[in-house]
This record gives sequence, C-alpha cells and structure tokens, in this order.
Amino acid sequence: MNEQLIKINVLLFGACREAAGTDQLSIDLAPAMDVAGAFTALSLRLPQLADFRRSALFAVNEEHVRPHHLLHDGDTLAIFPPVSGG
Amino acid sequence: MSEDIFEITREPIAKSGLEQRLLTGGAGAMVTFDGVVRNQTKGRAVVTLHYEAYVPMALKEMRRLGDELREHWPDIERIGMIHRFGELKISDSSVVIVITSPHRRVAFEACHYAIDRLKQTVPIWKKEIFEDGEAWVEGQSPNRQGNE
Repeated sequence: MNEQLIKINVLLFGACREAAGTDQLSIDLAPAMDVAGAFTALSLRLPQLADFRRSALFAVNEEHVRPHHLLHDGDTLAIFPPVSGG
Repeated sequence: MSEDIFEITREPIAKSGLEQRLLTGGAGAMVTFDGVVRNQTKGRAVVTLHYEAYVPMALKEMRRLGDELREHWPDIERIGMIHRFGELKISDSSVVIVITSPHRRVAFEACHYAIDRLKQTVPIWKKEIFEDGEAWVEGQSPNRQGNE
C-alpha cells in the first residue's frame, strides 16, 4: 500500500520563531502523525526548537490543540510560547 | 454581537474613535481600559516594546472573548478591543478595551475581566528592548474552559 505523506504548513512565533530562525516552513510527515510527532520531526530540522519541547503551545488551523491532536494534509500548525499580549 | 469591534493593528490605536463608534444610545456607562507601555521592568529601563501577533488567530480569540463576556454579563451593550503590534514606544497604547452597558457595575466588572482574560488567551507576544539587551516576557498558557 502506497501511503501518501501529508504536507503541513508550520508557523512559528515569538521566542520559538527567533530560536528556529524562521517564521514559516513546510514539512512532509507520515499520515496519522500527531502534533507531538510533528514537533519532534521539526526539532530534527531546527534543533534550537527542541528547547521549547516542554513549554511550546500549539494551534492547528487557528484553534488551540493538545499535543495528541492528529494532523491532516494541508493543516497549518502554529507553534509558540505561552502568550504575553496586553 | 455583530456591532462589536475587534481589531489588530500596527497603527497607533484610535481610542476616542473606537469609543465614538461604540456609543449607540443604549449605554449609561462606558469603561475603557488603556494598556500603555511602561518605562521600566524590575528596575531595568525599557527603551521599546516589540509586540508580535498571530493575527487571524488573535482576532478569533478576541471574538471568542467577546462571546464569553456576553455570556457572563448579558447586560453588556457594546464591546470594542484593539490590540497593536510592532515596535511601541514608552506610553504608547498596546491594547484598548471598551465596554458599554446601561449601568456602570457591569461595564467595570466586564472590562476588568476582559483584560485579564485577553492576557491569558490571545496569541500575542511581547519582547522588552532594554538599553543593554532584550528579553521576551514570560507568558501564560491559555486556560481554556470546557473543551480539551
């Protein structure tokens, strides 16, 4: 069975963006990958992101999600530190 | 409520314009919170503040906060929130929240709650630029009610 990879658009903000050195990238993942798995895959490409493993928050398609949230082809995954607006 | 106003902007916040847009006759009270850039943090002099925003999601969260406010305080007349991002100088407004209601107690309570909640939920981050360095402000994890 030929399983298609899923393509995810990744957005990075704040200290995560600064550490990674980019605010946006695309990544191809195995299907049925969850957000935590995507983060691990991204940390291999952007090692400085690994510092945020325990503190990073996630959103998929502009909604807050937990790390076990399953990703789908075409999703936009945002990774960011705890918020500090206001 | 479709007449509520939620905006994210790089421009200086037009506070009195926002207030005027929200005064539609039914209000006896208007309470405005204006968050301004302070010149120091823990004794360290701040030169500028850099705000970064996930704009479409921040707008969604602000609208969601508006729904939350109306659920808690059904008497609210109008809600307005404008958050600025980019480079801000000392005493610039970073966020303005306006609540109008027939009587003042609701406006005071809801406005107080609104800024506390905005700081927990809206995807915006700030970095302090000092004379001798810079540091991201440590933030809060969104405290979602109910789901997840």
